[in-house]
Amino acid sequence: MSSNRLPTLVALLCGFLVINGRSATPAFFPDDPLQIDADTALDAGKAVRIDGSNAFDFAEHTFLKPGDHRDIHAVNVSTIDEVPDSTWFTNRIGRRAMSIDEIVRGPNTETVPNVDDWPIVEGKSSGITPGYRIEGPGGRLYQVKFDPPSNPEMASGAEVIGAAIYHALGYNVVQGYVVEIDPTRITIAPTATAVDMRGNKRRMTREDVDQLFARGARLPNGKYRATLSRFADGKPLGYFKYFGTRPDDPNDIHPHEHRRELRGGRVFAAWLNHDDSRGLNSLDMLEGPPGRQFIRHYMFDFGSIMGSGSTMAQVPRAGNEYILEWTPALKTLATFGLYVRPWILVDYWEGAKSVGRFESDFFDPVAWRPEYPNPAFENLRADDAFWAARLVSKFSDEAIRAVVGKANYSEAGAADHVATTLIKRRDKVVRAWLTGVNPLVNARLAADGTLTFENAAIDAGVARPGASYQLTWSRFDNATGAAVGTSEDTRSTEPRALAPRSIVNADFVTVIVRTIHPDYPTWATTPVTFTFRRADTQWDTVGLDRNGSSSVKNISAP
Amino acid sequence: MHHATIVLWLAFAICALVAEFVFAQEPATRAETLQRRREEKAQHLQPPKPGRVEKTLLDLESGRLFERLLNPAEGLYPRIGNITSGSGFSLGPGYRQAGIFGGHANFSTFAAVSLSKYWMLDARLHLPRLANNHAAFEVHGQRYDFPKEDFFGLGPDSRREDEVTYGLGNTVVGVTGAYKPTPWLSVSGAIDHLQPTINARAEPGEILSLFSDGQAPGVLDQPTFFKYEAMIDVNTRQPRGNPRGGGRYALTYQRFNDTDDNRYSFHRVEADVQHYVPLLRDRRVLALRGLASFSDADEGAEVPFYLQRTLGGPDDLRGFRHFRFRDRNALLLQAEYRWEIFTAVDGAIFYDTGKVASRKEDIDLHDLESDYGIGFRFGTINGVFLRVEGAFGSSAGAHFVLRFGNVF
Repeated sequence: MSSNRLPTLVALLCGFLVINGRSATPAFFPDDPLQIDADTALDAGKAVRIDGSNAFDFAEHTFLKPGDHRDIHAVNVSTIDEVPDSTWFTNRIGRRAMSIDEIVRGPNTETVPNVDDWPIVEGKSSGITPGYRIEGPGGRLYQVKFDPPSNPEMASGAEVIGAAIYHALGYNVVQGYVVEIDPTRITIAPTATAVDMRGNKRRMTREDVDQLFARGARLPNGKYRATLSRFADGKPLGYFKYFGTRPDDPNDIHPHEHRRELRGGRVFAAWLNHDDSRGLNSLDMLEGPPGRQFIRHYMFDFGSIMGSGSTMAQVPRAGNEYILEWTPALKTLATFGLYVRPWILVDYWEGAKSVGRFESDFFDPVAWRPEYPNPAFENLRADDAFWAARLVSKFSDEAIRAVVGKANYSEAGAADHVATTLIKRRDKVVRAWLTGVNPLVNARLAADGTLTFENAAIDAGVARPGASYQLTWSRFDNATGAAVGTSEDTRSTEPRALAPRSIVNADFVTVIVRTIHPDYPTWATTPVTFTFRRADTQWDTVGLDRNGSSSVKNISAP
Repeated sequence: MHHATIVLWLAFAICALVAEFVFAQEPATRAETLQRRREEKAQHLQPPKPGRVEKTLLDLESGRLFERLLNPAEGLYPRIGNITSGSGFSLGPGYRQAGIFGGHANFSTFAAVSLSKYWMLDARLHLPRLANNHAAFEVHGQRYDFPKEDFFGLGPDSRREDEVTYGLGNTVVGVTGAYKPTPWLSVSGAIDHLQPTINARAEPGEILSLFSDGQAPGVLDQPTFFKYEAMIDVNTRQPRGNPRGGGRYALTYQRFNDTDDNRYSFHRVEADVQHYVPLLRDRRVLALRGLASFSDADEGAEVPFYLQRTLGGPDDLRGFRHFRFRDRNALLLQAEYRWEIFTAVDGAIFYDTGKVASRKEDIDLHDLESDYGIGFRFGTINGVFLRVEGAFGSSAGAHFVLRFGNVF
């Protein structure tokens, strides 16, 4: 060997090792699919409170489009395309059967408290709804918010229904109760403060409280119906944004606009008409002992969902158009109002003030919008929506009616209208989003090589039966992340198939499944890839890849 | 073994050791992968830093400056807006104190001066919740000086080229009482003491250069007045600040008693009818207004020119100068088609027409002055903060209107 060839050989050798080094990161780790994202591991005790400006939040999201808007897969999902439990989300109805009682109870741990004589300790510091804060037994803090006089029972009903549903979906929400406040049983703590119009704190007086009552709905029994929200445990750190990460939280590494549960939040918000779903209606709480503190993220304030606009009935625009949306605005301007936005002509049921404006006939789950753009919602992809729609589909008619019962609507027909509307909207959500991708789920490979899976759209009744499946089987090299060897094709008219013998003697097996359905031709062109790992004599499902998923902009509602 | 081969094997061994070391650093689990990213981030933590604009807006919201500017309930605030028609933009300190006298009364005061050197001092003590919230009472005092009020002569035939100016000052002290049996009905009465002063000069462009006391009654001497007023007001507008439906129907009787020698005593009856026709679920509105004002002087007396009804300006005939027409009697008809462009902005197409006359029988639909135009209103569903309008088609040419508040 000549000495001048030696450096070349050494370089080749090192290159080989580098390439091998890259392949040292396997496609699937031993702990895949991850069930829990341990985002409480590092101490976040140095995080500070973030306060938000309503005006800036509106302007930033309307004019500046913050966040990363690349059309990429959600970054916090497991290898089977599910959301691991975290400080953001705890799988509940999506992972296990919840009883109706459990769904209705939601986050609440108490029976409805009797708040007579609980001292008022301060005024409500934010939001437009009149209210104050009271101290319960043990010094625990609660917030009281009144219904608007024009729509008694509306906001408080929306609050408890929203909290129960969001909790069952998996979000962190604070405990909330519908209570009746007796104005003759009010006490004001000597240290109670109110903030005057100059922004200065001063001692709270009975007149302050009476002015709040004057803005609340008085019941025939002389009491005032209100929402009682229990303050969450920990230290409040303000709100989270729907983009980026908190720069002071070491555990917060996934950009919020690419978190599955925040992107999918658009589907839930559409179902419930939660048009006020923005960062400022979220809550970060610092929990844990010193040195091991972490931030838990809450969804907050459901007084403006369904037909409620908190202080008045929801405006007809809500859910149909952003506050500022140029195209319809310019059309209306240019035609002197002859162009009529379709949502203007929607008829609302007016049988009960407590319902506000809530309907299902015009509702379009794909076109639905919050008050102004939300970066995570805008990044919603078909696979995010599919994940969310599966959760929505878990709410039975009975569960929805039971949750609505929690609102204790007293007007005839109110509870039935709200429940029926939620059911119809649920059906629209499920129909729109469960069919937006090749809807195969819950794949299992039995020890004998029998593959079973489910077609979520057919099982939910939103696609008619009659699908057949083309399966392409391969061995899978976990080190390279690629199929290896000769692949084999099989077909099945049922959501089950037998794996070829030549394939199942590997450690990893992958199968690409195309669904042939006359009504959904895209299911054939957007296959689902399942990957299985041998575990003794069993197979674990470790991978689910919806290859053809893309931005929802490419999907039309049926 | 060849020397080169030895070197090669040695290099391989070194690379293998290095690779082993490197590979040992690779995470073995998904959880470890995430943990390493978190540990990496922990090395670069920093507190959230809101931008300058965000911080400023947050401070403004925390200090409730927007509320204090737009709808202050109490405390010191900057009073922004017009003092009177033609005053131009004005600014000054305002102060409100709610809940005084045991929570029964509210006090408000302001001082404002405009770019045209108009100024006004105003103070009011208002008791809004008497008789179980059905009655209200107010004591008020006001002093103002408007140094350049326009005057074109009296009657419908006054000429644009006769424009002159005069100064108007006044001191008003009075009381008002109102009874509201229902939220939409109000019956009120007021007594005011007026002490007007006219600054009239004969220099070019000033009122006395073109008009005599006969042509502008009261220009040379001004008595003090007691003004008595009674009004029935039916107000079903919804919402009140930016009506989409309902109407306002007000009938007012005013009596001005010249306390000096009765040369300028007169009375006035005025009907102001506003009606709003909601269209397309309140997203379009047809707003209509009719105003008729009739003044009668006592036997041998005159109605002073500075207390006569005027037409012209941003609130009535928008295609004309302020106070372009002035006489004892007036008729005004206005129609607007308003349409919502988006939440905070409405468009409006309008038509104004009207006339003034010295005799009541001349108030008819003949020889009306008119204009039309287009505009935009900025505000909320509950109120108009600012309107921008262009008025055209009048005999006086195009006019641009920038005004705080709604037209009617």
